[in-house]
Amino acid sequence: MNDHHEIVSSSAGVAGLYNAPTSVRMAHIAAGLKKRRAASKRLRIYGIAAICTAIGFLCILLTTIISNGYTALQQTEIAVTIDVPADEIVDANGVIDVDKSRNYNWDGLVKRSFRKAFPEVTGMLEQRSLGELLSANAGYDLRLQIEAAGTVPTGAVTYWVKSSDDVDMLMKGRMDRSIDEKKRRIKDNQLVWFDKIVAEGSVRLAFNSTFFTAADSREPESAGVLGAIVGSAMALVITVMLALPLAVMAAVYLEYFAPPGRLTDFIEVNVNNLAAVPSIVFGLLGLAVFLGFFGMPRSAPLVGGMVLALMTLPTIIIATRASIRAVPTSIRDAALGLGASPMQTALDHVLPLAAPGILTGTIIGIAQALGETAPLIMIGMVAFIVDVPTSFTDPATALPVQIFIWSDSAERAFYERASLAIMALLLFLISMNMTAVLLRRKFEKKW
Amino acid sequence: MTFLTSNVALLILTIIFGFVAYTLAHQRIRSHVARDGVKAHSLVKYYGVYAALWTLVPASVLALVWAFAADPLLINAAEARLRLAYPSLPPSFLELKAAQLQNIAAGFIDAPDEIMAAEAAALKESMNRVDLARVLTLLTVMMIGFLFAFLRITPQLKARVAFEGFLRRSFFAAAVLAILTTIGIISSLLFEAYRFFSEISMIDFFFGTHWSPMVSLREGTETAADEAVAGSSGSFGMVPVMLGTLLVALIAMLVAVPVGLFSAIYTADFAPRKVRNVIKPALEVLAGIPTVVYGYFAALTAAPFFRDAGMLVGLDVSSQSALAAGGVMGIMIIPFISSLSDDVISAVPQSLRDGALGLGSTRAETMLRVVLPSAFPGLVGAFLLAFSRAVGETMIVVMAAGVAANLTINPLESVTTVTVQIVMLLTGDNEFDSVKTLSAFALGITLFVVTLVLNIAALHVSRKLGQRYE
Amino acid sequence: MDTSVEMMSDSKLKAQKVNVFYAEKQALFDVSLGIDEKSVTSFIGPSGCGKSTFLRCFNRMNDVIPSCRVQGQILLDDVDLNSPKIDPVLLRARVGMVFQKPNPFPKTVYENVAYGPRIHGLAANRQEMDFIVEDSLKKAGLWKEVSDRLNDQATGLSGGQQQRLCIARAIAIGPDILLMDEPCSALDPIATSIIEELISDLQSRFTILIVTHSMQQAARVSQKTAYFHLGQLIEYGDTKGIFTRPQNEQTEAYISGKIG
Repeated sequence: MNDHHEIVSSSAGVAGLYNAPTSVRMAHIAAGLKKRRAASKRLRIYGIAAICTAIGFLCILLTTIISNGYTALQQTEIAVTIDVPADEIVDANGVIDVDKSRNYNWDGLVKRSFRKAFPEVTGMLEQRSLGELLSANAGYDLRLQIEAAGTVPTGAVTYWVKSSDDVDMLMKGRMDRSIDEKKRRIKDNQLVWFDKIVAEGSVRLAFNSTFFTAADSREPESAGVLGAIVGSAMALVITVMLALPLAVMAAVYLEYFAPPGRLTDFIEVNVNNLAAVPSIVFGLLGLAVFLGFFGMPRSAPLVGGMVLALMTLPTIIIATRASIRAVPTSIRDAALGLGASPMQTALDHVLPLAAPGILTGTIIGIAQALGETAPLIMIGMVAFIVDVPTSFTDPATALPVQIFIWSDSAERAFYERASLAIMALLLFLISMNMTAVLLRRKFEKKW
Repeated sequence: MTFLTSNVALLILTIIFGFVAYTLAHQRIRSHVARDGVKAHSLVKYYGVYAALWTLVPASVLALVWAFAADPLLINAAEARLRLAYPSLPPSFLELKAAQLQNIAAGFIDAPDEIMAAEAAALKESMNRVDLARVLTLLTVMMIGFLFAFLRITPQLKARVAFEGFLRRSFFAAAVLAILTTIGIISSLLFEAYRFFSEISMIDFFFGTHWSPMVSLREGTETAADEAVAGSSGSFGMVPVMLGTLLVALIAMLVAVPVGLFSAIYTADFAPRKVRNVIKPALEVLAGIPTVVYGYFAALTAAPFFRDAGMLVGLDVSSQSALAAGGVMGIMIIPFISSLSDDVISAVPQSLRDGALGLGSTRAETMLRVVLPSAFPGLVGAFLLAFSRAVGETMIVVMAAGVAANLTINPLESVTTVTVQIVMLLTGDNEFDSVKTLSAFALGITLFVVTLVLNIAALHVSRKLGQRYE
Repeated sequence: MDTSVEMMSDSKLKAQKVNVFYAEKQALFDVSLGIDEKSVTSFIGPSGCGKSTFLRCFNRMNDVIPSCRVQGQILLDDVDLNSPKIDPVLLRARVGMVFQKPNPFPKTVYENVAYGPRIHGLAANRQEMDFIVEDSLKKAGLWKEVSDRLNDQATGLSGGQQQRLCIARAIAIGPDILLMDEPCSALDPIATSIIEELISDLQSRFTILIVTHSMQQAARVSQKTAYFHLGQLIEYGDTKGIFTRPQNEQTEAYISGKIG
């Protein structure tokens, strides 16, 4: 179509339709219209199809995660009748002695008591597979229950202790009984025992409070997100404390004080470009500079927060500049006209008016930082950490990294916990974004 | 004693100092003004702030430097002593010992032997001394700073100007941080990459077709020394890694460009306002989902789905296929492309649309023959940015793509990417100095340059669009 | 009122009780007038008086604005343009439009003129298209200036040339009627006078409706003039009469420069 046109003047003959009477021309156009209308309709349909595809993907993603994850809100527990030997764990006054309790073999107690319900199981190996129905941490679970109660009851009492993750999966219908025994994590004999205790009513699904009060664990049933959430929160505190003031300062400088010139241009190019640098590169920077050069601690929320701050800085600078620019120059002129210095104008008059916009931009930047995984992996926040961090230099992990760790694990039960952790993460993100949207709505001013 | 030298005590002391400096300066300027009967240049509060800043800022800077410098210096000294005490230990073990020493000194663990116990005690002793020295130094610096400011306070002093000058300089420093970050990225990556290239030739790295940095691990070598040797003889040809990266990114673009572009066409010019108000937030939700969630979806849902689907039609699809990772990455990029394209399409002036419609074009003809050709450079810019994003994306491929570097463009096979290799090489218990870890930085600088070029190209192309409408 | 209805009886274009609303705001109130074939009619009035809105009723360009509603009848050869049976695409092929700001497409000069015939399928082959392009450019008085620049970007032309290109682009479909919405407001005086001459030339072939804020321009180019104020048609008649003996006080005030 776009080849060169050389019109040799008046060589062309008289064009038929162009010089035809209006009615003839209109009839011709009308005849072609149906096809053109159809093409228009097709484009609209493609558009709608594309939108539906995108939203369909969103729905599939969310349903997958919810259907995979909601079951992690519950944990299978098995009733075990246990006669706790009081004399082994209480002191002379009948109060639980913490030292004694800690040293006592609770695991053995739970497993012995559980075996009593199965007198027919006698072989060593069989007894062992029977014990595997219970969580590897069942003893610890029982100890916590008893210590929480404060007293040791006399005689046999029924306690609910956590099942192993495999039993949990079986109970939730996430394990296929029909596949070959060799490929199945629960063996045939274990299935028989399981069915027996189910029939007896000694198995239940209870609210999985551990998930919200514990940090990571080797055992899915003992793993929780609290450690990761605290780690994320600590990192984000550092991020906000560093990124917000620095970004506002840089934005005020660029909008108010930067002399036009090469340096200013170069700063702007850098800010814009940093916003598009892959996040993993910031991780490499943190690894090489913060850990390698300055010798800061590995896996620490402090370093994680610093890396995320560098990463979100451009986002917040760009948002802050936009909201400073949205403040009309009349306000700036008025303040300057009253004899305020440029600095006073910027700090006392413009920034307060730009504050909602800055806040919105910050929240969006922080939400981005909250979901970021790769740079944290680079600085070692991917370690297996069983304690909830208590200081900014403690080894810690973060919520998205925890999701990554669990998704990468072999145990099926971790997948379900990863899904639930994703739901928690999305909930945080959605509430942050909602806050940002509401803030924007509330303070949106038409000057 | 330990409380007096602790950070908390120091912080409290600093706050008190600042407050006192402010108050004293305040009083001084007031009495000056009252005595001499002249008007102060600035509001009196600025004189207080002036004194407080001189008291606190130099000390804070010193404290910051101290925090970074002091402990490493002490530990280096301790390490030097350990080297004398254990002459036979290799350097990497000495580092371990030094770390152990810190833990013993802090009381976290018990000393394994007498030498360590003695060294730990010495370390603790010197740390305490240094802490005390720190407090005394900082207090002195604060004093000097305060006295300097206090003595200069007269009604003629332009306190506000000085204060604003300080603020402006800090603001400038904050803005320069952007440059420093870039410099930090480039120099740290280059520095490590330089060390890598002193062992592996650039030609081998950029044009080699075999990538297996982990060769030493596979062959099960035993000692650290062996591993280092074997590691350096591993293959570091990045062609298959780059090819895998491009393959996955290309698959992502094949999914995202049509869907994103058609969505943008629809939302920009076809959708009724109400529909647009629903669609845009929905796409924003899609854009706000963290990449680790997409990674989870790719690894645990999409990849098995493609494998099983392949099995149904008799195709052998890898469980870590490029198709699954790229496809899910495409979903991730859809909102990015649609919102950028929407902006570009909406930026085409209404007058051009009016012109086309006024000639009797249908909406589709207006869009396809006038609006899209006008928006073309901007769209190309948007696609380049999206491609850059796909190339740098990490979590989806770490979770769903492969680790082995296959030289293939078959989307059903497993490929690896630059970001996957970086993560793999730098996690786990690798030594920081081995060629393996250094190769991650060589990949890192390659990734940085590739994305930088894409971003700059995107900027350049879309800038042309702006000029056209003038 | 009576006179205007009378005048309408044999008019090519007739507007009857046209009301236009933007959302809740009414922009035109009961406008009725008739327009003669192969003449130039100008709409004048202070800005915001609804003259452009009225002009856009004649090719249903108001359809493009979602919140805009048009009531009343616009008859072209006694067919109501607002009837749902009328396809706006077909209508716009018959009623060409030139806009306030020159808006050539970012294509070559040739492709700009060829755009209309191409989408409507008016040229059977290259020769026909070449002829259309050449003829339209000649009618628009641009041929001499651009005959050797047909493959250059249209955006590289001067403002006046761009506007004449837009006129050529509109002519190339062979419309009966040309709507011109302040076609000279973005142009310098020399370019303006060239366009005004062109309008006088085109008058023999087309029925031209022109919106202008320049009374001198209306006086120079048009046979009839309609004066609008706040969405009302205040006065309509022969241009000479309007300018020399305005019947209405408001028209007089506007023409003498007291309002505007």
